Amino acid sequence: MFKQLFVVFLLAVSSLQAQSAALMGFEDSYMLMTETGEYNQEMMFNYAPSIHHAFGIEVMRMSPKGTRATTMTGINYTGLIKRWNMPSAQANIWMMGSVGEARGMHNGFSYSPSVQFDYETARLYFLAKMRMVRAPGMINDNAAIQGGFSFYETDFDETQPWFVLEAKATKNYNPSFQVTPALRLIHQSYFLEFGVTNPFDKSERAPRLNLMFTY
Amino acid sequence: MKKTLIILFCLLASPIVSAATSIKAEVNGMVCAFCAKGIQKKLNAMPEGQGAFVDLKRRIVVLELKPAQDVSLDVFTQVIKDAGYAVSKVEKVEQSIVEIKANIKASIKGQ
Repeated sequence: MFKQLFVVFLLAVSSLQAQSAALMGFEDSYMLMTETGEYNQEMMFNYAPSIHHAFGIEVMRMSPKGTRATTMTGINYTGLIKRWNMPSAQANIWMMGSVGEARGMHNGFSYSPSVQFDYETARLYFLAKMRMVRAPGMINDNAAIQGGFSFYETDFDETQPWFVLEAKATKNYNPSFQVTPALRLIHQSYFLEFGVTNPFDKSERAPRLNLMFTY
Repeated sequence: MKKTLIILFCLLASPIVSAATSIKAEVNGMVCAFCAKGIQKKLNAMPEGQGAFVDLKRRIVVLELKPAQDVSLDVFTQVIKDAGYAVSKVEKVEQSIVEIKANIKASIKGQ
């Protein structure tokens, strides 16, 4: 399955080059994203010269239960492969990739390509993502789906609350299956999400905080 | 005579009343605050505009033009496309953003 994903990744790169004439963008924006949880910590900062491309840096710490953590530091690329704009919805296919260096339990060259599909209306949200996470001796490829709904529709200058449920499966990881219900608040440039991973398993229960800021 | 002079003075001192011109568009794909933020940033950067308004609930964006300034509907549509969205309807209206907001408010009350 992950070999197929890699092929999709390569196709995505080539299709991006073929679509360079159709660039659309929220140009000139910076984005900071962080995830803080017991099993995974991540920070990404990128700059988007257009809506189709963003470049940045990323630090990801994989900290499975009972094992020493591995921190991967690298450069990151995000590309919008395809967007569908509908009257009351939007759908996107994204590809992302980072290369860098792993330190900790595993050491050496690390890389992490991924593809993502998302669909969103003003009240509903769905996301599916597949990601390879590789370093010497480490294969933590994962697949995740997210679904959510907004409690009510808001105007641009109001804060919109969402309930989001994520299920994530990670190869060679403990816990290998993580379910995280979360409350998400979105206000113009800000995004704050607080959830609890595996809330029904006392031994794996852990809080998770996600933040995003766009300027 | 004195009254006539006062009226004449008031007329000369009062600003010339002219309707503001705005470009109003319905935008496909604008479903979240991040989307709206990107569009607002693009519109605010247009030198011909003196204000932008985004109505996320109704998927409407408005650019109020400065006096004696103009932007073609094609150029405006392209700006929205460059921001990553699609325009389903675009028109010029002889209204300011304040008036458009008031109309929306009135239509909500009337529902």
